[in-house]
Amino acid sequence: MIKIENLSKSFGEIKAVHDLSFQVREGELFAFLGINGAGKSTTINIICGQLSKDTGSVLIDGIPLEKNPADTKGKLGVVFQKSVLDQALSVYDNLQSRAALYGISGKEFKERLSELASLLDFQDLLKRPVGKLSGGQRRKIDIARALLHHPKILILDEPTTGLDPQTRKLLWNVIEKIRKEEGMTVLLTTHYMEEAADADYVVIIDGGRLIAEGTPLELKNTYAGDFLTLYGAKEEDVKTLEVPYETIRNGYRIQVPHTAAATQLILQHPEIFEDYELTKGKMDDVFLAATGKKLEGGQEE
Amino acid sequence: MTTLFALIKRNIKLFFRDKGMFFTALITPMILLVLYATFLAKVYRDSFLAGLPQGLSMAEELINGCVGGQLISSILAVSCITVAFCSNMLMVQDKANGSLRDFSISPVRASTMAIGYYIATLISTLIICFIAAGICLLYTGKVGFYMSGKDVALLFGDILLLTMFGTALSSVINFFLSTQGQISAVGSIVSSCYGFICGAYMPISQFSEGLQKVLSILPGTHGTSLVRNHCLQGCFAEMEAQHFPKEVVDAMRDVVDCNVYFMDEPVALSSMYLYLGATVAVLIGIYVVLNVIKSKKAK
Repeated sequence: MIKIENLSKSFGEIKAVHDLSFQVREGELFAFLGINGAGKSTTINIICGQLSKDTGSVLIDGIPLEKNPADTKGKLGVVFQKSVLDQALSVYDNLQSRAALYGISGKEFKERLSELASLLDFQDLLKRPVGKLSGGQRRKIDIARALLHHPKILILDEPTTGLDPQTRKLLWNVIEKIRKEEGMTVLLTTHYMEEAADADYVVIIDGGRLIAEGTPLELKNTYAGDFLTLYGAKEEDVKTLEVPYETIRNGYRIQVPHTAAATQLILQHPEIFEDYELTKGKMDDVFLAATGKKLEGGQEE
Repeated sequence: MTTLFALIKRNIKLFFRDKGMFFTALITPMILLVLYATFLAKVYRDSFLAGLPQGLSMAEELINGCVGGQLISSILAVSCITVAFCSNMLMVQDKANGSLRDFSISPVRASTMAIGYYIATLISTLIICFIAAGICLLYTGKVGFYMSGKDVALLFGDILLLTMFGTALSSVINFFLSTQGQISAVGSIVSSCYGFICGAYMPISQFSEGLQKVLSILPGTHGTSLVRNHCLQGCFAEMEAQHFPKEVVDAMRDVVDCNVYFMDEPVALSSMYLYLGATVAVLIGIYVVLNVIKSKKAK
């Protein structure tokens, strides 16, 4: 659905994006990870047609971005980091004016508004000025605005930053529902690793370059390894395993490079592994291992 | 067309919902009227009487009518421009608060956006300037009213043309602005300077010859002269009806800039309309071209 090849963009001496290539498949939830200034927003701005690229190609639905920008823009729905709706106008007025940008008006608009209001549960907010809504309510309206024209691709630029967990969950449920029902492709940038962990595919960029890519499982296997948590064992027994470990509240946490190594360890010492669990590394570990940097969840750019 | 109409509606709604922007724009002409009537009416009156030849007397109501006409023409000539700049702040605010990004990710054309801002600003400014004109006419009705129905109609036509000019000028200037601070700075400069350079605060006939020549090139000077002509036409007609010498009436027209000279030749009213209209067309053209260039650069 989105194919980026050798994309580069510089601002003076600063190379914001350097020879970046990746693909987003149709219907996929694609997570784009990177610290502030890594080049995420520049890439998204190029995809949205708000910035010109220096070199490389961007294909949306198989068509080069520059070939028919108006048509391409009609396929994209974007939720910006900060709400860009008119604070002084009501929810209804905001959505009406934005729908008109896509030629949606009259009965067609009212029907779509009704669908979205029921889906995102904001029927009661239609007459309220956007500026008087809470953060979560405003986010719902931002998402509704992005979905007004049935986009094929939804771009979410840190959509849940600053929201309470309940609202985050609600929004993700809605996005998942629409994605599955309408086969919509979702490109997400986020600071929340648990959101990235739910993605179908993850790309990590740093300094404008692609550092790592793959499914969350592939990334975890490659960069984070596995963890064996051992309960009820004695420390002297754990020491005999001759592997690095850390003491936790009710047991010991042993890091192993991969699942096969864990299996081998268990089979070699079945007497020690009476009560244990095997867990994959977290996306935070992947990010740290891949970039050498820690991504602070929930911080606003 | 649906998109353009929706954008115009949105822009006008935002302007009138933003109480700060709306009241600032509305109150400016009112403040000017109060300030003029309080501080400048006597100055205008004295300079008007000083221009009368000795032994020639004029009825009190006619003097007041002339002074009132001069006052309201100055206020309206300035307001059409300053209110347009104030109304057109929305264009910059949209850049500052990110709304423009929201528009630019949609398939709407840059030229449609530009025209949307222009028409919305024009309508908002006209609403305020027509209200101001109504209040100004009530004021002259109280002090001395000599305008005919045709003069009033032409005055409203002048306001329309000057507002189109102010909106086009502000559109071109605001195109280069992107922050609230820049809006405030430009607003302050325009409010404080425009009245002087268009001959509203002081008739350009009172300036040095060189400055007069420079100012006579500016379209705003001709706009002010048009408004002034239609506000004072009735007073001059009344003077002629009262058998004032033609030379005296002509001299008075010169003093209050009803006559503007370009290369020492008087400029006809029709030429003023043509010049101002052409300037509006050129400015709108520049504005649309700037938007198209910007949009192409982004691709």
